Amino acid sequence: MIPATARTHPAFAYLRARRRRPASWSDRYTSVFVLLVAAAVLGHPVAEALAGLARQADPARLGPGLALVAAAYAGFLALARALGPVVLPAADASWLVTSPLPRRAVLGRTALLLLVAAVLAGAALGLTALWLFGAPGQLGVRLAAALVLGAAAGAGGMATAVLGQQSPAADTRLQLLIGGALSVAVLAAVLGAGPARRMLAAVAEAPASLGAAVAGVASVVAAFLVRRAWAALDRIPAHRILASSTRTARVTSAATTLDPGMLTWVAEDAHWRGRALRSRPWPRLVSRLGPASAPAWQEWLRVGRRPGRLAALLGAAALPAVCANATGGGLGPAAGLLLCGALTAAAMCTAGVRRDGGDPALARMLAVDGRAVMAARAVLPALLAAAWSALALGVLQAVGELPPGAWWALGPAAAPALAAGALRMARRRPVDHSMPVIDTPGGAVPTGPLLWAFTGVDLALAGSLPALAALASRPASVAPYLAAQAVIGAAVLTAYVLRSARGSRP
Amino acid sequence: MANAIITARGVGLDLGGVPVLRDVDLTAAPGEIVAVMGENGVGKSTLLRCLAGLHPSPRGEIDVLGGPPADLPDFWRRVVQAGDEPAWYPGLSVREHLELMSAVHQDARLTVDEALETFELTARADLAPLSLSTGQRQRLSLAMALLRPSSLLLLDEPERGLDAGFRQRLAGILRGYAAEGGTVVMATHDELLARETGARVITLRAAS
Repeated sequence: MIPATARTHPAFAYLRARRRRPASWSDRYTSVFVLLVAAAVLGHPVAEALAGLARQADPARLGPGLALVAAAYAGFLALARALGPVVLPAADASWLVTSPLPRRAVLGRTALLLLVAAVLAGAALGLTALWLFGAPGQLGVRLAAALVLGAAAGAGGMATAVLGQQSPAADTRLQLLIGGALSVAVLAAVLGAGPARRMLAAVAEAPASLGAAVAGVASVVAAFLVRRAWAALDRIPAHRILASSTRTARVTSAATTLDPGMLTWVAEDAHWRGRALRSRPWPRLVSRLGPASAPAWQEWLRVGRRPGRLAALLGAAALPAVCANATGGGLGPAAGLLLCGALTAAAMCTAGVRRDGGDPALARMLAVDGRAVMAARAVLPALLAAAWSALALGVLQAVGELPPGAWWALGPAAAPALAAGALRMARRRPVDHSMPVIDTPGGAVPTGPLLWAFTGVDLALAGSLPALAALASRPASVAPYLAAQAVIGAAVLTAYVLRSARGSRP
Repeated sequence: MANAIITARGVGLDLGGVPVLRDVDLTAAPGEIVAVMGENGVGKSTLLRCLAGLHPSPRGEIDVLGGPPADLPDFWRRVVQAGDEPAWYPGLSVREHLELMSAVHQDARLTVDEALETFELTARADLAPLSLSTGQRQRLSLAMALLRPSSLLLLDEPERGLDAGFRQRLAGILRGYAAEGGTVVMATHDELLARETGARVITLRAAS
């Protein structure tokens, strides 16, 4: 609670005065009407979905499903940490945080919004978990327990993130929590189909009262953490709120002006700003290979400087197999994940291309032949994409989702095309909002953002068609597909590098 | 001028229908420093961009190093342009930006250590450029421009963000570059910098 002395502070009158006007009767009527319509529209499908929860869990899907829920929770915490989580609009951050106003009064509204968002996100995760584990009896109790447990996890996690913004020690605890959630995801994915299967099945069959007790304990812990976070609002250093508010304002601006490419720049700059680096000279071998290899070496340096990303990439190689297990052996979503993962691996090391595409000032100063630099810069993305996709295909085969054969080799064969796709993505221009909007029966489709989103993905997709066809049909012999993939992959990258020399973008 | 590095005659340019440059003449010889001065908006930066071949079709005649300027690697191997702050490569330190320049240009004018010392960046060598102050980032930009070999330097407000002491030092650095035979054309508002570099001053007037 806000102390009485703070509540009477003139700041409150000021803050109340500058907020939105109080809700009128018409506003209230609209809100109630919208809620009633939503209830009428969604009531039946929600009731059906809830009734569908009253079933036994499928033991084969418990491990992969729990892995996805734990990974989503880790993502939720990581996102909260990356955004702040306590942020203000840029003007408020500049003027109110550095003023003598009581900080908790300034931040209280944001804190309340964060709590609501965390409770909703947690409840959604709780429902997903219940859908996985099923509710063989006492549906009402199990549903309430899942919602409370999820909401408590969400609120507790968000409170930990707020505490982490206040002190480095608490931030370390938050990172441990994220690491713990990721570990659970990995363990569930790896052991869920084997040794831990029985344990997970036992959890699914546990009495509803036990779930309710766990939810009760979790909500007490969450309440304690929320209370501590509320108290900590007064002590969050101004510079942390200013930094996270500026970062989030840029992200919001990039999102609202539909320029998602800016997000990558914002994230990169936020990561490297203020860091002391151990400078390394360019290796002599790189210099001997010619001037074009020198600009490419910076990507190797950068990748080496972010081992956490490499570790996350390594862990993500299991996701296609987890997804295939969770969907009961369907390779469609797994193939999609394979393509996304390999393209992400390749795109992880294209920052130099992206910077030169956005502002060629440094490229002009370097004055190196564009074709040679592009060829040198394609090496690392191709290697990373090859290694990641080979590993992911190997895991898919190890869990029995692929027949015998050298399936792993499809990864290295498709890697050049994936590298070309990642380089094309890095060089794409901002979204062109002057492109026409096409009216379709499903609604208006803005072609500018659509073209932007597909630039790069198109090349990766077209260049990986033989591999995707092989995954879709699962032939007895993968060799013909492998040969076709190797030829097409190399051809796509060669054509892209040759075309890049003409200075055309992307 | 028989052996001129730059010969520009009657250069004109309209942007969005508004005349920015009109009938500008400029010549620069090897070893010469030319300071382009004038009020805000008279087209100093635009003239530099025309000389760098970054405006598609200005009127008049522009000849740089024996031909029309072109935004191609061959041109940039002999010409350096330092203007607005570039987008620094993420995850590279100050020293590594200079190392990169040195690795690309094997016949660099300065070693990396010399560049760090000359531009007073030694104490900041292991920081990312975004962690530097505006003036320090300007020094890094100038250090990269002057580390590599070139025949022509096009500098747009090189004094931006620099303290008075370093501006004097910069004047000495530019005089040294010109003494080696290099040509400098700089747009500047700093009369003292122009005087201390011994530059020939060209004052632009508003085109409209």
